[in-house]
Amino acid sequence: MRRLRKTLCLAMALLLPGSLLTSCGGGESDAGKVRIEFFQNKPEAKASFDKLIAKFNAENPGIEVTQVNPPDAETVLLTRVVKNDEPDIVGMGATDTFSVLSQSGIFEDLTNQPLLEGVNPVYVKQLTDVSGMREITGVPYATNANGIMYNKQIFRELNLQVPKTWDELIATAKAVKEAGIIPFYFTYKDDWQTNLPFNALGPNLVGNDFFQARRSGETTFKENFREVAEKMLALLDYGHNDNFGKTYADGNRAFARGEAAMYIQGTWAIPELRKTNPNLELGFFPFPTGNNADQVHLVSGVDTLLTITKSSEHKEEAAQFIEFLLKPENIGQYIEEQTAFSAVEGVEQKDPAVAELQPYFEQGRFVDFADHFIPQAVQLNSIVQSFLQNGNIDDFLGTLDREWDKVANRRQTH
Amino acid sequence: MTRRNSVFYWMTIPAVLLFFLFHTFPALQGVYYSFTNWNGYGHSYDFIGLKNYFYLFQDGNVWNSYWFTFKFSIVTMILINVISLLIALGLNARIKSRNFFRAVYFLPNILSVLIVGYIFNYLFSNVFPIWGANLGSETLAGNILGSGKLAWIGVTLVAVWQGIAFNTILYLSGLQTIPTDIYEASNLDGASRWQEFWRITFPMIAPFFTINMVLAMKNSLMVFDLIVALTNGGPGRATQSISHLIYTGGFQGGEFAYQSANSVIYFIVIALISIVQIRFLQRRETEMS
Repeated sequence: MRRLRKTLCLAMALLLPGSLLTSCGGGESDAGKVRIEFFQNKPEAKASFDKLIAKFNAENPGIEVTQVNPPDAETVLLTRVVKNDEPDIVGMGATDTFSVLSQSGIFEDLTNQPLLEGVNPVYVKQLTDVSGMREITGVPYATNANGIMYNKQIFRELNLQVPKTWDELIATAKAVKEAGIIPFYFTYKDDWQTNLPFNALGPNLVGNDFFQARRSGETTFKENFREVAEKMLALLDYGHNDNFGKTYADGNRAFARGEAAMYIQGTWAIPELRKTNPNLELGFFPFPTGNNADQVHLVSGVDTLLTITKSSEHKEEAAQFIEFLLKPENIGQYIEEQTAFSAVEGVEQKDPAVAELQPYFEQGRFVDFADHFIPQAVQLNSIVQSFLQNGNIDDFLGTLDREWDKVANRRQTH
Repeated sequence: MTRRNSVFYWMTIPAVLLFFLFHTFPALQGVYYSFTNWNGYGHSYDFIGLKNYFYLFQDGNVWNSYWFTFKFSIVTMILINVISLLIALGLNARIKSRNFFRAVYFLPNILSVLIVGYIFNYLFSNVFPIWGANLGSETLAGNILGSGKLAWIGVTLVAVWQGIAFNTILYLSGLQTIPTDIYEASNLDGASRWQEFWRITFPMIAPFFTINMVLAMKNSLMVFDLIVALTNGGPGRATQSISHLIYTGGFQGGEFAYQSANSVIYFIVIALISIVQIRFLQRRETEMS
């Protein structure tokens, strides 16, 4: 039997190079160690987790944690769930995929677990808001912020202030453009990038309660999102000459080299920018969506949450690893390397690039990303991308409503 | 005799079993799921009959992906066959360092589609726009993969660039099956180069033409990895091929059963097209010879 399994594994490995190899290992290795597979979705965070894992493995000789971080991780994760081959621990964002997997009963219920003790309850609530469940199925770990990065040097040279309102933002962009510098470096070849202004404008101008009402069919995108759409289009006047031809990677390179004054982006890009240019003078302000500066909320969501899968054979050891990651010194190291924010209370982000965001966190003036509430099957990213290309607002809002209904109908039949 | 037979069985049966286990069986499973409403990961589903098939025909995204795929496949098939036949003719002629050129033209076939895709992605974004700007064209000064109207042309160019390699080799082997004495005879009769090609060369390699047309069409109808590497279906859904839609909808969008129905239709379409192509082109082969 054992031989047969080996032969099969070999055959599978030959037929499907790579993809199935992991499923042949698993269980306990020869040395009697417990093997934990930690699957996470952030390529930027791979090195940081590797360091923490090495530390954990050294401290716990009986356990061996390995990290798996494939490209397009959410899809890979779903594919593996289809095959009933779930990893032990999943690290992912609080996205719709998390919601769907939680509702399908893939993750352990962690309500009342000691793991959640030090975690900021606001972020725990974000998880349950997204999943729409009473049970808590994940531990919020690191959080991020979406806003506008700016090049402090360019701002100084042009005598510009950080804009606090929408009108000031447009005026700033105009001034930069007149000086012959690119105001915003758009990277709209990647469809998820087109979504960033939407994620900031939606929660501030419409509010995330909208999605609850949309679920019960009380309202539509058409009635509420016109201003959001208009402002997204208005920004396009202040891009460069190939807004739809540049990718996220191109944008990081260009902005780090000082080719543009502002960059609508999340905090997750900061480590990438510093790889290109460690001396970049970087600032970060919340997206000024309206004209009342006091009402602007920072967009911040759970970037990485940690879950244990129900099918894991080593839940205790998995919890032990998560507990290790949540220790202040370890999460402190992680958020410092990733320029992220900690979901564990009392661990602060001291990076000067994001210092301007600290008051928003302290006053609790932040809201979750809009797209965390939109089913992935709606394919929001590609809808926004085609809208920005054709500029047809009615068509855009109509498509959003139509796709939403289509997906809702399909989900109801389950 | 029986001993020899058993050897043959030993050679074929493992392959048949593996093929059934990893190919036929999942395909049949897919057909089964296409009659359900399974989302791909939940633990329960219901039978809903032909509903998925019914919704498919009303789904604009499905029609859009079929339109892109056919547009792309037909253009790619024609370009690949014309260009690779020309290259094969050149490489078959008595030219200097013939083997070197053969190796060079075969090179794209050895590279993985994803690598080619990522290299071209870089070229489209950083190199070609500079050329375009030098030519003074405003459209070419941008990344054409980012333009809703032109992105499919970019994808087609890369597919042709890579697809030519394999078809050239097939044409080349076809050209080498033609006995040289036929050309000697036609030379004596005073046939022109043009006549020689249409009356001798082309009819003689007709079977290769058939297989090349079918292969090029089938390969481009199933295009997937190239799309992932170049545009990921974008901008919007401008370059979303059928298989890309099935993958993204099925795995990312929780439409596993629905997209299984789409793949069943897609399988039938590809099978029909291949059969029709082979029938039609084989009839021409016999007419010509």
